[in-house]
Amino acid sequence: MTDMILSLVLFTPLVGAVLALAMAGDLAKYARYVALAFTALPLAVTLYLVTAFDASSGYQFVDQYAWIETSFLSIQYIVGLDGLSLIMVLLTNVLMFLVVLFSWEEKERPNFFFALLLGMQVGLLGVFMAMDYFLFFIFWEVALVPMYFLINIWGGPKRHYAAIKFFIYTHVSSLVMMIGIFALVIESAAVAGTGQLSFAFADVSAAAALFTQGFQVLVFGMLFFGFAVKMPIVPFHTWLPDAHVEAPTAGSVLLAGVMLKMGTYGIIRICLEVLPEGAVAWQVPMIVIALVAIVYGALACIAQRDLKKLVAFSSISHMGMVLLGIATLSDIGIAAGAFQMFAHGLITAVLFMVCGIAGHNVGTRQIPLLGGLAEKMPNYAAFMMIGFMASLGLPSLVGFVAEFNILVAFYNWGLSEGVVWTIIIALASLLLTAGYYLWAMQRSIFGPLTDKIDTSKVHDVSVYEGVSLAALCGLIALFGIFPALAWDFIFPYASDLAAVLEVFL
Amino acid sequence: MTMPDFTLIAPQLIVLAAALLVPGLYFLTRNDKLVGMFSIVSVLAAGLYLGWMMMEGVTGSFLDVYAVDEFSLLLTGMFLMVALLVLLASLKSVERDRHHGEYYALLLAATAGMMFVACAEDLIGIFVGVELTSISSYALVAFRKNDPRAAEAAVKYLVIGGLSTALTLYGFSLLYGVTQTTNLEAIALAIGAAPTGGLLISVAMIIAGLGFKITTVPFHMWAPDVYEGATAPVTTFLAVGSKKMGFVAFFKIFLVGFIAAQATLVSDVQYAFAVLAAITMTVGNVVALSQTNMKRLLAYSSIAQGGYLMMVLAIMTPYALTGGLFHMITHVFMKGGAFIIVAALCYLSMGEKLSDYKGLAKRAPVLAFAMLIFLFALAGVPPLAGFVSKFVLFSSAVGFPGELVETQWIWLVFVAVINSAISLYYYARVVKFMYVDEGESIEPIKVPMPFMAAILICLVAVIAIGVFPEPVITLCENAATALMG
Repeated sequence: MTDMILSLVLFTPLVGAVLALAMAGDLAKYARYVALAFTALPLAVTLYLVTAFDASSGYQFVDQYAWIETSFLSIQYIVGLDGLSLIMVLLTNVLMFLVVLFSWEEKERPNFFFALLLGMQVGLLGVFMAMDYFLFFIFWEVALVPMYFLINIWGGPKRHYAAIKFFIYTHVSSLVMMIGIFALVIESAAVAGTGQLSFAFADVSAAAALFTQGFQVLVFGMLFFGFAVKMPIVPFHTWLPDAHVEAPTAGSVLLAGVMLKMGTYGIIRICLEVLPEGAVAWQVPMIVIALVAIVYGALACIAQRDLKKLVAFSSISHMGMVLLGIATLSDIGIAAGAFQMFAHGLITAVLFMVCGIAGHNVGTRQIPLLGGLAEKMPNYAAFMMIGFMASLGLPSLVGFVAEFNILVAFYNWGLSEGVVWTIIIALASLLLTAGYYLWAMQRSIFGPLTDKIDTSKVHDVSVYEGVSLAALCGLIALFGIFPALAWDFIFPYASDLAAVLEVFL
Repeated sequence: MTMPDFTLIAPQLIVLAAALLVPGLYFLTRNDKLVGMFSIVSVLAAGLYLGWMMMEGVTGSFLDVYAVDEFSLLLTGMFLMVALLVLLASLKSVERDRHHGEYYALLLAATAGMMFVACAEDLIGIFVGVELTSISSYALVAFRKNDPRAAEAAVKYLVIGGLSTALTLYGFSLLYGVTQTTNLEAIALAIGAAPTGGLLISVAMIIAGLGFKITTVPFHMWAPDVYEGATAPVTTFLAVGSKKMGFVAFFKIFLVGFIAAQATLVSDVQYAFAVLAAITMTVGNVVALSQTNMKRLLAYSSIAQGGYLMMVLAIMTPYALTGGLFHMITHVFMKGGAFIIVAALCYLSMGEKLSDYKGLAKRAPVLAFAMLIFLFALAGVPPLAGFVSKFVLFSSAVGFPGELVETQWIWLVFVAVINSAISLYYYARVVKFMYVDEGESIEPIKVPMPFMAAILICLVAVIAIGVFPEPVITLCENAATALMG
């Protein structure tokens, strides 16, 4: 039974999705209770797993079955958690639960809506738990399909375009990643001297030491492309603002909060772990890509008039931070990158919820039309302030810990490579970030109440929205003040990984 | 001289006998339901016998023309499944027509032809089987002879089919000329010493001739018109049945006979196939993007799927053949299921335009869900059957298990992958029509039983093979090893 606990977490939402989907007609309005129950259970079990987890050892709670065993192929159903996947699973389950709560008053086809959320949860959890490439890839793709429907049915005016663009961009990138996986698996079977392709992480990693450097560099490129489009990196980022602007709030929260992290998770889990020589060869390109994303995202933010588009571009910038941390290939850098994934997940959820509320409680997200909202919506203004402050890296909130450590790692890298001036680029972006957030806040919630729109019907956050926002803000503060709660799971993993990478640096 | 063992080709003989009995039965009873059911029972009987042969692991050779091994058994089974699905879809579709006896007889005869090709080990055997199927299909396409679209499609199909037959036969005769034999195993032994010039012309003729059958670009022009003009069950048969037969013939000729030719020649032909595969999948997918008729959209998607399957002929390894066979089998259910839904909606006079599918999810939830699954499976979305089969097929281009990564065909798999993403666009468009858009009517649709049965068979197969692919992959592996050694 203890072995199956992880599969329980993974498949509970699937059962919930099927149940919710079945609740057609008059029952549809009760689908939200099913969704809440079937997201609460995985969250509760995850919290138990966090307490039972032993940070000093590798994969735990492993559940394993042979799945496809033929003379050419060996594919297993195998799931497990290590420090990195644990915090991502925690993040996914926390956000999922709160998103269901936030969307409590969804009126349009609620059974289908909640079924899609739960279906997406299965995909996201699977990606972070899988220990087999085939399984990993299946969950990776499974997560896309519900998002396509979420945008397409519940989205804004240009939703059809945004949905298909999102679907095709991410699908192309995952197929390129798939070719990379083929190469990994075929090469590892060959160097291990078997004629059976094993897709298990462990078998590929065991053979990885014998990969030639040329092979590593090439395959790293393919896999990195697959993951990086998801992150996303400039210039493959254009799907992201479109998808976010059109997506319903729940979709945006999960897209930015968890789905983008699949990309950086893949880079750490597969690119860095399996192809260390490739990682070293790609280090400088990765750093350049990260800096471009950071600066470009921040600059684009300044120009945005739509609050949601601003947050979307800020995601590009912050995900660039994650990559910057990872690309230093040092223990602090990788740990801080992973911590930033966690932190950004919490913060961006607040930001997108705030944008969503602006959209339906105020009626517009256009910053120039807003103004003085604090007067009418004091709670809303408070949540927005906490979210923005956390995102710009205010000390004692979770974003600061992540970004500070990333910058430390990057500074160390700059010192050792003799290019310490590059830190200025990263620091300048922090300034930009503070600038665009404060400016946006000034224009939307402070000052005199706007007269450009009819504010008579504007009302503050609802109970459900308030509870989920408050919970998130609480977590942002909690992990900001006690970062060790998450850091202690990640750092042992990161230092093991960095020790392997150091050999090739 | 001993009597040949007729039990080896018993499934074929059962279907052939049924084809001969059906017109008589119809003449005596004038009952279309009865002949339809009789045809289904005969196909099931052949299937049962085949199942027994597979369990017993029967192998053998009938007069050195038809070989029974894992390969032929698997594909015979696949063709019987196609026949079963098409017959189920036909029961209602043709009930308002006349000449039911002929319709079912032709369908069974065409099935028998495909089954003969599945076990042929001789050029003559292949040719006879292909022709039996082709000639029956010309008549099937013309079944609604008063419908101008059907008549036009039939004439087009007949003329192009005749040309393809002539080219194939010329290719075969040249192959016989340079190797002095029509037996594929014997060809493999003799081909190494064969004069290159004659061989090359023969190969070109065969590729062109049989290329019409598998709708290789540039020999694909007929397919969308014929698929659109024919009645939907016949279209299903052409797309998932007779096309596969063309592939089986290709596999036999090139992977058994030709593969033993001089290495440089083989490598040239591999490149030719790779280029044809890349062009075929690209043209199929790109043209499908702008289609507004569901049958034509699926026709172009079939052309593209044919392009994926042609990768097997470029890569020429048992692992690639495994993937190819696997994809052929999953394609039967994915494309078959999609065409049967089109057939059901045609029967219900819903129309076959894409815009006619608006709001289908509200009117017929099961039908729309099934269509969603089939289309996503065709696009290769996991965890559905089409994903796993594409996964195996595409991975075979990167290398053969046990050998280091082979970069020769990486470009081909990139082309395939990009195509796969393009295809997602037009499949998702149909899904959008069904699920996102509002239709003019919200009246529920009631789908007749036989259609539902066929659709459910496909639906269960697509999901089950996707989640538990192991048994099917094992069968395909065994078949591939049986054919290529």
